[in-house]
Amino acid sequence: MDTSSPTVFVNGELLKLYMGRRVRTVVQVIRNEGGAVVGQSTDNQQLTVKGPDQSVPVMHFMEVIGVADGPQSIRAEICTDFGSNFDTASYNGLCKLANGQFKNLFL
Amino acid sequence: MYSSQYDGGAFVSSQSPDSSVAKTRGNRSTTIPLTVKQITDAYESSSQKSELIVDGVDVGNIVLVGMVCNKASRATDATFTLDDGTGRMDFIRWVNDAADSSETAIIENGMYVSIVGSFKGFNERKRATAFAIRPIKDHNQIVLHFIQSIRMHLENTKSKVGSLSQTQQSFVNESSFSSGYKEPQTPVSNYASVNSKAQGSETDIYKLVLDVLQEPSSLASEHGIHVDEVVQRLGLPAKKVKEAIDYHVDVGHIYSTIDDFHFKSALGD
Repeated sequence: MDTSSPTVFVNGELLKLYMGRRVRTVVQVIRNEGGAVVGQSTDNQQLTVKGPDQSVPVMHFMEVIGVADGPQSIRAEICTDFGSNFDTASYNGLCKLANGQFKNLFL
Repeated sequence: MYSSQYDGGAFVSSQSPDSSVAKTRGNRSTTIPLTVKQITDAYESSSQKSELIVDGVDVGNIVLVGMVCNKASRATDATFTLDDGTGRMDFIRWVNDAADSSETAIIENGMYVSIVGSFKGFNERKRATAFAIRPIKDHNQIVLHFIQSIRMHLENTKSKVGSLSQTQQSFVNESSFSSGYKEPQTPVSNYASVNSKAQGSETDIYKLVLDVLQEPSSLASEHGIHVDEVVQRLGLPAKKVKEAIDYHVDVGHIYSTIDDFHFKSALGD
């Protein structure tokens, strides 16, 4: 068992608290711009995802696991297509709980 | 209610809310959704390494959701590491027949899976045993698993009904989420309105409803009290009273009797 490098559940708001750290979030892909994907976070902020994996279709939800390298930007290591049917309100709520009252269950 | 939402096996929450004794000798047939962090913390802080006790509950089986990595397949077994974002844990899945091997064959590195397994033997072999590994098809299941872990943690750590007022705010938030899983439109407003209201109002209604149900007259009656009577007595909106009743049924404080409208308190004092 190894809990040495957890990935923090974040939304747009929480991303800026974890600069330089490994984070995970789900965004809805808005557009592809060259080497980066622009996505909308579960709390309606625009985030930029830089990384090699650009295969998630526009309007699908994409989970990004990577390092937070800016207040609205992530350098992605793994991107996963979460399909088109994803409950952003639940995910957003989970981010708040996982970073708030129940942080000890996650980090 | 739990089994319909839940793919990997039923879990039993032992409901004795007025007992302040930790449920260490309880039900070893429990199957509990957990995070790797929870398991690691429980394991490292316990002196007795052969059993897993999380939040005072003796854990039978565990459910985890995460991403597979380092998968290695052999004729008799498959081993892999599960990374759920809170930590990594090694598992082995024994392969006894064709069904087992087809189950493990479809699992690949980078895939999200749900695992039902046992922690038994971890102390000796440094890996847990997986009984069932299912690929996740609807990714909302990942969110659901973590919410269920939080919920189970809350259930197991609340000691008495009296401390409910502190945890009720989180319960209200949580029940908004579980309903949000089925109806994406409503929980945003529920969550926002819960936060913007004064903390007192939601918890007060829940407490008032429970108080009515715990009155001697309600307890004396075989089939408890009708929802409408509670509404009339409190003079509160029926919707709010029904919400409070649903919550209390959920956590095991009350139960329905002769029909879906009569409720009785389970906490006979």
